[in-house]
Amino acid sequence: MGLTTSKEYAELEWPIKIAIAIVWVAFAVNLFGTIVKRREKHMYVAIWFYIATVVTVAVLHITNSMTMPAGWFKSYSMYAGVQDALVQWWYGHNAVAFFLTTPYLGLMYYFLPKAANRPIFSYRLSIIHFWALIFLYIWAGPHHLLYTALPDWAQSLGMVFSLMLIAPSWGGMLNGLLTLRGVWDKVRQDPVLKFMVVAVTAYGMATLEGPVMAIKTVNSLSHYTDWTIAHAHGGALGWNGFLTFSMLYYLFPRLYKTNLWSTKLANYHFWLGLLGMMFYIIPIYVAGITEGLMWKQFNKDGFLQYPNFLETIIQVVPMFRLRAIGGMLYILGVLMMAYNLYRTAKAGKFESDTEAQAAPLEKTPAVAHGKLSWHRMLEGKPMFFTVLAIVSILVGGLVEIIPMFLVRENVPTIASVHPYTPLEVLGRDIYIREGCLGCHSQMIRPFRSETERYGEYSKAGEFIYDHPFLWGSERKGPDLAREGGKYPAAWHYNHMDDPRSVSPGSIMPRYSWLLTQNLETDTLPWKLSALRRIGVPYPAGYENGPAQKDLQEQAEKVVADLKLGGVNTDPNKEIIALIGYLQRLGTDIKSAPVTTAAK
Amino acid sequence: MSNDPKEPLLLDHNYDGIQELDNNLPRWWVWLFYITIIYAAVYLVYFHVTHTGNLSAAEYDQEMKVGNEIKAAAMGKFESSIPTLTPSTNAVVLDSGRQTYAKFCAPCHRADGGGLVGPNLTDSYWIHGSNFTDNVTVIWNGVPAKGMITWKKVLKPDEICSVASYIYTLRGAKLATPGKPPENQTPVNNGPSQFE
Repeated sequence: MGLTTSKEYAELEWPIKIAIAIVWVAFAVNLFGTIVKRREKHMYVAIWFYIATVVTVAVLHITNSMTMPAGWFKSYSMYAGVQDALVQWWYGHNAVAFFLTTPYLGLMYYFLPKAANRPIFSYRLSIIHFWALIFLYIWAGPHHLLYTALPDWAQSLGMVFSLMLIAPSWGGMLNGLLTLRGVWDKVRQDPVLKFMVVAVTAYGMATLEGPVMAIKTVNSLSHYTDWTIAHAHGGALGWNGFLTFSMLYYLFPRLYKTNLWSTKLANYHFWLGLLGMMFYIIPIYVAGITEGLMWKQFNKDGFLQYPNFLETIIQVVPMFRLRAIGGMLYILGVLMMAYNLYRTAKAGKFESDTEAQAAPLEKTPAVAHGKLSWHRMLEGKPMFFTVLAIVSILVGGLVEIIPMFLVRENVPTIASVHPYTPLEVLGRDIYIREGCLGCHSQMIRPFRSETERYGEYSKAGEFIYDHPFLWGSERKGPDLAREGGKYPAAWHYNHMDDPRSVSPGSIMPRYSWLLTQNLETDTLPWKLSALRRIGVPYPAGYENGPAQKDLQEQAEKVVADLKLGGVNTDPNKEIIALIGYLQRLGTDIKSAPVTTAAK
Repeated sequence: MSNDPKEPLLLDHNYDGIQELDNNLPRWWVWLFYITIIYAAVYLVYFHVTHTGNLSAAEYDQEMKVGNEIKAAAMGKFESSIPTLTPSTNAVVLDSGRQTYAKFCAPCHRADGGGLVGPNLTDSYWIHGSNFTDNVTVIWNGVPAKGMITWKKVLKPDEICSVASYIYTLRGAKLATPGKPPENQTPVNNGPSQFE
């Protein structure tokens, strides 16, 4: 249906965003209510992580979801261009941190010592790594935007804070692995612990690799390639997946008061999952590095070795096939687990009620390593603890985001940059709806290999009317930031109908319905007035008449251009708007169109 | 602190059966943390306080300077070698020339070379000289006054050679639809044609 805001991990449209916020607040009320009514004076480290999760996800979700509705399932981000990119990646990075990392660390801190029946290695380490982690994590978002049009100071902050994250992240891994000291023989036998060890190790690997990829030099190679995807999946399949499996294997026998139906099957699941992960990740590492190197390769005469983007992507297609096999193996393992757990549940009887034990609240002073500890006291004051956590996570975001909005020189204006025309607005919405930015970036980085291929590198001032920004983070096709004027209109028409007809071997899907579907123009007034409300300078009343006239005129022009290329079509088709948008891309600051002769 | 002699670091606290030790932080971990913090401070000072390091725009200018020098040298070398070039008959080269032609030349010179906006390439009327090297020169420099663009900014030297070689094979071709009439020139001997 194409209902999407286009912002990664925040694609859902505004009514759903509101519903998520409500559910999350309800969850928070329940969590904090439980904490307040607790029978345990001091909150255990797992609880600290849950608190950080709940408050941070709320802050992130609400800030990044600020959109101006233009209909029930359409909205435009309140922020534009560079600012939208910064907010999005402050959100995107920390959504991973506070949705997939901190809650899972909390779970690890409970399930790992439980399953191993060992005390946590170091209370001190958990304090230091918890506070360092939540404070530093929030700063690292800009590492998703290295070498883009984001101002240099923000890029540098993103890079160095990512590096400082290595130790706090590894604090979690160490506390997990060192807790297993003395029970490594159990790890060999118990599938629960096996999964856990791999999960914690994958966490350590991913949190070392992340900072390495945040080094600008490494990022110049890895960004836009499959390397990023390999990294993300190493974390997701290894850390989140395997920890989830181990928890389920731990919980089911206890919930149903029986033994696991088959330990052998669980072991098979373990090895199959591991194998699947390897088949999933290693090929796309290879693919990512191949792509990165091929894009950057110059021949001895100073020309691009692979000027045709297609060559570079065709090279790595076999890797995608291997990746699919890996994914299937991994899923097969999950199915084996589901069956095993089902049989376990059938064999046992669900224990719906257990006798609860609550210790009397202690009156003893907060003592740790022999003296009264300030942190022990803090653990007894959940609301104060929460306030401190909120302050820790706000600092980084505020320091990076506020100057981006207030200091004008962060986004130098370019006089020739104008708002999109009505036809281009609708074309842009089709671009978003069809998910073009999943494969096509619109952000040329300042490298010779990119400017030779795509044209002048992107400038912050070019994106001031981009609600939302569409820089993308992945290239399965060439960058489109300077697509305008590169090809004649008819080329785009034929290319959308069947990419192979003009670009043999292309892996792009067909979008032939754009040629036949009529362009929906009824919502244009809503869209234009929504955009005006968030700062795009359309004149008052533009949406009632003049806009429709402009749209019609531009559509006729596109039709005339198409005719030159031997294509006859009506001006009211969706393809017309998309071509209008594509031909506009990046042309505002072009001194002259690249090759008019190609027409 | 626990009184258990086997676990002297065990804290006297128990959460749902979970206990905690109070081990010291591993020293190497602490040093790792310190080193990254120091590195961060040095990095920020180097690039943003003393402005010693090149940020991305300056880095780019430097890269372009070096790259363009290499490219200019290679192009200069090619330009001076144009008089010695001969058309290739290698099938692979001609095929890549055909593809380049279809993409860049056909819009003006028609897919079969019969001419549209640009002149007919199959007849014996040559405006800028009939030698292979004349063709290469015209493609290389363009004829801006007549609308032929300077292709050296778009195509690599070897692409220009291959497309010129392909165009050389079009000479004297029998076209299905007649080509564009010549622009008042005396016919020039085309040299050998594969169609004759």
